[in-house]
Amino acid sequence: MAKRITIDPITRIEGHLRIDVEVDNNAVSNAWASCTMWRGIEKILRGRDPRDAWMFTQRFCGVCTTVHAMASVRSVEDALKLEVPLNAQYIRNLILIAHALHDHIVHFYQLSALDWVDVLQIPSADAAATSKLAESLSPWTRNSRNELKAAQDRVNAVASSGQLGIFANGYWGHPAMKLSPEVNLLAFSHYVQALEYQRKALQVVGILGSKTPHIQNLTVGGVANAIDLDSQAALGMDKLEMIRTLLAEVTQFVQQVYFVDVCAVASMYAEWFKIGSGVKNYLAVPDLPLDSRGSSYDLPGGYIHEGDLAEVKTFQTAADPAFRQAVTEDVIHAYYQGDKPLHPWNGETEPAFTGWDGDQKYSWVKAPRYNGEPAQVGPLAQVLIGYSQGHALTRKYTDLAIDKIAAISGIRATPAALHSTLGRHAARAIRACMLAELAQKHWQLLVDNIAKGDYSVYNQPVLPSHEVQGVGTHEAPRGTLSHWVVIKDEKIKNYQAVVPSTWNASPRDKAGARGPYEASLLRTPLARPEEPLEVLRTVHSFDPCMACACHTFDPSGRRIAVAKIL
Amino acid sequence: MRTALIGGVGNVLLGDDGIGPFVLRQLESRYDFGDDVELIDLGTPALDLTHQIVGLRSLILIDSVTSDDPPGTVLLYRKDDILRIAPAERLDPHSPALSECLMTADMLGASPEHVLLVGIVGENFEPGAPLSQRLKDAIGHAIEEILKELRNLGYSFHQKTSPDVPNVWWTNDVRENSAPCP
Repeated sequence: MAKRITIDPITRIEGHLRIDVEVDNNAVSNAWASCTMWRGIEKILRGRDPRDAWMFTQRFCGVCTTVHAMASVRSVEDALKLEVPLNAQYIRNLILIAHALHDHIVHFYQLSALDWVDVLQIPSADAAATSKLAESLSPWTRNSRNELKAAQDRVNAVASSGQLGIFANGYWGHPAMKLSPEVNLLAFSHYVQALEYQRKALQVVGILGSKTPHIQNLTVGGVANAIDLDSQAALGMDKLEMIRTLLAEVTQFVQQVYFVDVCAVASMYAEWFKIGSGVKNYLAVPDLPLDSRGSSYDLPGGYIHEGDLAEVKTFQTAADPAFRQAVTEDVIHAYYQGDKPLHPWNGETEPAFTGWDGDQKYSWVKAPRYNGEPAQVGPLAQVLIGYSQGHALTRKYTDLAIDKIAAISGIRATPAALHSTLGRHAARAIRACMLAELAQKHWQLLVDNIAKGDYSVYNQPVLPSHEVQGVGTHEAPRGTLSHWVVIKDEKIKNYQAVVPSTWNASPRDKAGARGPYEASLLRTPLARPEEPLEVLRTVHSFDPCMACACHTFDPSGRRIAVAKIL
Repeated sequence: MRTALIGGVGNVLLGDDGIGPFVLRQLESRYDFGDDVELIDLGTPALDLTHQIVGLRSLILIDSVTSDDPPGTVLLYRKDDILRIAPAERLDPHSPALSECLMTADMLGASPEHVLLVGIVGENFEPGAPLSQRLKDAIGHAIEEILKELRNLGYSFHQKTSPDVPNVWWTNDVRENSAPCP
């Protein structure tokens, strides 16, 4: 008889991801992903000046503020057919890269590493042996015995206090944990260092965006950074050098630590290359534009249907007709009115809450579809699409990852093995390496363009009186983000954001097709159903982002349910 | 060099959840602070809050809270009150993480010595809703608690002779209140 497990970490009033799984013979036999709160924030935008929308949209989410600002200005620029000066493109690209590097590092170390790393094994590790192991894996200079001993002491201090503090929410000693004490220590030492390097990435966002969270330098038509090489107040050589140094440090951490750790963890949990595939339709949009019109890009986009890498479709532009015409949202299983899929420009957000019912409506997330089918988005989608298209940078780091994993484990993974929980982690590390390399490139492009005497950062937008529509896309850390705007009489008539986690956390559609989270959980083995660590591993591999919302502090620390078995 | 941070926490698009940033903007419009005090509208920072708080001497946060007390009640919390909350199971990186960030700062040996959370009990969290009247009425009290903390810790501040217009751009049409675009 199947057992139902609900993972619902709500302690506060805001909405979060909830996962329900049915478990039969210690494996997942059915799954539902849902979000527990209505947002409807888009409605706030109706009637406002489209040039101001980005200020509001970057408040959709407290962590990915930048991405919503960027997609918003791009949507209005698309509607107005407005070009963006080269300097503005490069400055935006540097912000997007720095934000993404920060996000990917946070995701691996602070959100998901402890699904694989058993902190309570660390006190018994041999720091000298750990240092030796680390040296065999990477040239990183901060793997000394002393540095590792210091990390071990931090864990000892927390563990010996009798209260686990920050480690109170892990599944320590779970039978699915397999790393040696030394590997656990090494990963934890990098967990601590990661805090430092993610901050450096954020500093780049702060310098260019003048503030973080919530950058201030965007404007429809470009950016508001004044460029003056000799000035300390404007964007000059002082700031540019600071940015270059920070990016170089982050790049080194990404390539010598994050990438290596992911390959090492993957080598020791190789069975997870066979778990967690799910929806094999993949979607990504091109990003990091290289010209003012947005006709060539450094990151590739396209679509893969049912895992057929040979038949990959290519999107030429970030608002390619093959993308903009193919997106709809279905609400049959979401708490909204309506019975037929709608294109985002015609999208409606009228709530119809019924309470959770897995056969009927069960989520506040709509079900986005590409040509009527669910699609997985995120670094894995981008890497598979780029690899299939022969994109040189994607191939370079994907092949490096395959080689590294083979060197550690003796197992030679194929790109097809990336359809998995570990594949999503590997792809994110691959993408981080690509972005780190591109950070150097776009910094140089910016400096070279300024050196030519081009100081232009902004083209004046002109709002027409007739109705226009636009879509602004961004290949965000969690995947394809699109903002859809309809402008009439110089005001916003309709606005819809189709966010990456809507694609991945999508509920079933009218045809009953599961969304990516749901499909990926099927057949996941569970060693102890009452401690569903394996479910968390797969869900975390997507880097979910559901709240984008409210932040009220509940001083009672009530926990409604962690893992509830019904 | 800043040693104190006053941070407004909350989502300004969700009714009373925006009370933190709202109080912060009122505070900055009425007072001048020294270089050792920084005021930031933090939004909903989740785990990124760690970066804002490491190495500080004093952390003062203003946030909406849930409680059985009536809306608009001002409740004060210290570090120990916050650290008592065990981190919840984390499915996504966006869940509020005040206790986790303080614990992380503790682990790094860089936790603020003095922590004050000025909590204001919220009432309505609907998207686009204005602040509830009972929360507006609590702003003066919240500001007084912040100033009292600064005074006790030896930070100086001065009331502006003529207050600025608070930059609460989200409460109205942006262009009427401020000019964020060039």
